[in-house]
Amino acid sequence: MELVLVSCTPEVEALVATALLTTTSGAKPSALFHRLQGDPTRVREIVGKVETQHGSILEHNRLGWVLEAKEGEVLKILLDSRFFNVLRLEDSKWLLSANLRTVVEYIGKKKDAFAGALLKSLRDVAPTLCSCIEAGRL
Amino acid sequence: MRAELLSHTSFKQLRAAIGYSGVSDGDLLPHASFTFAIEGISRVCSHQLVRHRVASYSQQSQRYIPVRKLRERVVVPPSVRELGQELFSANVDAASQAYEGLVDSGVPREDARFVLPNATETNLLITMEGRSLLHFFGLRCCERAQWEIKELADGMLREVRVAEPELFRGAGPYCRQLGRCPEGRFTCGKMNEVMEMYSCVSS
Repeated sequence: MELVLVSCTPEVEALVATALLTTTSGAKPSALFHRLQGDPTRVREIVGKVETQHGSILEHNRLGWVLEAKEGEVLKILLDSRFFNVLRLEDSKWLLSANLRTVVEYIGKKKDAFAGALLKSLRDVAPTLCSCIEAGRL
Repeated sequence: MRAELLSHTSFKQLRAAIGYSGVSDGDLLPHASFTFAIEGISRVCSHQLVRHRVASYSQQSQRYIPVRKLRERVVVPPSVRELGQELFSANVDAASQAYEGLVDSGVPREDARFVLPNATETNLLITMEGRSLLHFFGLRCCERAQWEIKELADGMLREVRVAEPELFRGAGPYCRQLGRCPEGRFTCGKMNEVMEMYSCVSS
């Protein structure tokens, strides 16, 4: 099985922080987002405190991977989590997509090779969340 | 009311990344997402919005955020403005007084908010994947949709047409998307006019 991240909505962690503050502050979400875009330290601070109980704040994004895997392996992924979207590109090549909540919950639940590959693919796009998962805080 | 597209999947980038010409835009739509900041809509509108279940929402919480100066934080429908502003305002003032009275008496905000009207403004983030967004436009840009959510849907459509013009060129109410009206006997009867209008919607 081989997994390569090929697309991702921009500003993943700034949006996680915006979603969190939108629910708990009186500020407008667009103002929050534009402020946070220019403040990566604050974004890291907020995202570092995220807990999975309110997973919906992790849903404002979409990640896409090209997955090379056998049908049975893809079926297993879909049975383990119904929130992955799959499109067949070739016999053993698939476009797979999901949001961060799906990814975080899958990694939390499964300790298989696919979960490991998912976590590795998050390093560049969601580094703070990735560190939290690795440190067992999420 | 304001709708701003904050982030979205670049369709061009997604298509280039997979490098398959045999895959249609329709096949790729569920793999793209669009996140909007929605501001200054009523709770009536947000109730309608969340009926679109294949979407993600992060809404301002009335448990955490006190509602101050309610009179300045309500959405007034045009018909009320024209025919019943006085009655409406009296009701809002009474609700405001009751809310603040309850909070001052020590009632938690999560309980005091029960007296607030549906007109109370709210802000939220919404994320939809491409296929659900097209369905949302199909239903909510329709002439038969309620005025506030239609205004919101039109605003969101303007935003995505700027960001992904090719992908959303054919978007709009279902008559625009399908070339026929699916509303049956409830049709507005103005299909050609509506289709023409949505061929021009842009920033």
